[in-house]
Amino acid sequence: MDPSSMNNPELLQFINQEKERAMVNEMVGKLTNVCWDKCITGTPGSKFSSSESACLANCARRYLDMSMIIMKRFQNMQ
Amino acid sequence: MDSFSSPSSGSSATQFNPDAFKDQLKNQLAQAYAEEFLETLRSKCFDKCITKPGSSLGGSESSCISRCMDRYIEATGIISKALFSASPQ
Repeated sequence: MDPSSMNNPELLQFINQEKERAMVNEMVGKLTNVCWDKCITGTPGSKFSSSESACLANCARRYLDMSMIIMKRFQNMQ
Repeated sequence: MDSFSSPSSGSSATQFNPDAFKDQLKNQLAQAYAEEFLETLRSKCFDKCITKPGSSLGGSESSCISRCMDRYIEATGIISKALFSASPQ
């Protein structure tokens, strides 16, 4: 690839946008993977029970809370 | 019009075409994402539905697999909504 193409601001913006999208996808994928194991303990039915869907949503939000705590604590250790 | 925005006119091998590059990048990302997602589906639904592998795949196992796929996709939506819709809880 022509290296000067990296000076193309529109292209850089596109790449950053795709990077962000990839990070979001990765995070949703990771959390779905983890929370599926935590919340869906039986065989999958034809519909989620209300406690299963609440567990999934809570699981995702609590994971974020936890990340913040770990981040803060880790920063204080430095 | 600069050299980047001109479509490949003749010398396609040397000329960098940003639109083609974007399309290619998007396609490759989508393909990689789909492959990873499929691999996750295989592993999760195998765990859930093929608990004792028999001599053939039974009807109840196949229907479990369909349900598992549907629920996993639904779970992805629930997680994504929980993270990005502004309803703190």
